[in-house]
Amino acid sequence: MTFTETISSLLPISGPIADFIGGAVASLLIISFLMSLVAVSGIWGKRKITAAFTDRIAVNRHGPFGLLIIVADAVRLLSKELIVPDGVDRPAWDLGPLVMTSSALLGFAVIPMGDLFGLNLQIADPQAGLAYVFATASIASVGLVMAGYSSNNKYSMLGGLRAVAQNLAYEIPLVVTGVSVVLFAGSLQLSEIVAAQGETLVSLGGVAIPSWYAFVNPFAFILFMIANLAEVGRNPFDVPEAPTEIVAGWQTEYSSVYFVLCYLSEFIHIFLGGAIIATIFLGGPAGPFLPGFVWMVIKILGVYLFTQWCRSAIPRVRIDQLIEIGWKGLLELSFANLVLTAVIVGLL
Amino acid sequence: MSNPWIAIGALAVVAIVIPVSMIVVSSLIRPSVPEQGKTAVYESGEIPTGDTRIRFNIQYYMIALLFVIFDIETVLIFPWTVIYSDAVSQFGMGSALLPMLIFIGVLGIGLVWAWRNGAVRWIGSDRARETTGGA
Repeated sequence: MTFTETISSLLPISGPIADFIGGAVASLLIISFLMSLVAVSGIWGKRKITAAFTDRIAVNRHGPFGLLIIVADAVRLLSKELIVPDGVDRPAWDLGPLVMTSSALLGFAVIPMGDLFGLNLQIADPQAGLAYVFATASIASVGLVMAGYSSNNKYSMLGGLRAVAQNLAYEIPLVVTGVSVVLFAGSLQLSEIVAAQGETLVSLGGVAIPSWYAFVNPFAFILFMIANLAEVGRNPFDVPEAPTEIVAGWQTEYSSVYFVLCYLSEFIHIFLGGAIIATIFLGGPAGPFLPGFVWMVIKILGVYLFTQWCRSAIPRVRIDQLIEIGWKGLLELSFANLVLTAVIVGLL
Repeated sequence: MSNPWIAIGALAVVAIVIPVSMIVVSSLIRPSVPEQGKTAVYESGEIPTGDTRIRFNIQYYMIALLFVIFDIETVLIFPWTVIYSDAVSQFGMGSALLPMLIFIGVLGIGLVWAWRNGAVRWIGSDRARETTGGA
């Protein structure tokens, strides 16, 4: 029973309208949680992590561990003046950040967020779940192009064009590596992919190692992690923003609430990437002792920490190198992985 | 079992309403102080020169064309992966795997052809080739 069905069964009515209300309430709760996760990890956690990597202290004056900087920053950013530059293409310029934020949130509709107090926190569980989640994750690049082209700024346009080049290079390795786990699971439904990872792979000294696909097929896991870094645009693949080359890329001209939306969408995109990795490679919400929901959040934050680590530790590749890595390296490797996985599944 | 796409539609509505409400809240509390020069586009503090919407060399257009082909191919691979393990147990590995191997093989040969003809590379501008000796 999904989260939506649990809520709509509490309503006095039934049918499509009750389902819609249930879905809206469920998504409001999940999205609010995601927003607060972004607030904590994006405003506060990011600074602390980067500071730890570069041997600094970062925010520590606002409340305990500087945590109240979250409130201060949220109010500060929302109350900034919105500067609309000369000659921007108005509807597209306004819609760009909206498209990015909404599309990143859309993916969370099908992610199995696990159990909490007996509630299954998955909003919907369609049969084509994995195809849907890949589809929504790539809508964001439309928003990037809209933002880049409509800003009437040369840096923004270069950033938007680079974002397209990056997506062209990494979308196919990402999706092909992602579907290689479907060969094991035999279903695109995310709850079934999670359930298929619950079986025991081997028992080591009485401890049962579950057959998470990261253990079953570590090669696919590594490929997917690399392609996911490019998908969310973090080092070594942050060429669309590239602060030392093109100022801030596609988001150069955004201020005030639009900047907040751009920032929000980037972090939600990273969390969506983490949630996809957790679902198809790390057993979803599975884990000992703690509730499933807590494990899911831990896994998502683990992937987030990995992206921040890469951001601090790895230099950026050039855009032409990125095309070469994508088309002459990862693409071939991802197809080799698919064929190898198919042979192994066939022989077992 | 209700239709899951109703809930996804509900989430889509909420995912649009929340950013829009943030824009509305911000428009209520933010100041507006128009000043001369504030709305100039950012070019590292200089006065902007020239037009942005010029004819621009998209240096990866051949790759974009290749991408369309491979993207459609991944769509065709999706259903095969779903039925694969059932097909192996029902018809044997040869008839489940071989057609897909031929399909991927044809695309692989296509990629090798495109690679040898120089489609899979960043096409540098004439000026970049002069200054760096090839891109």
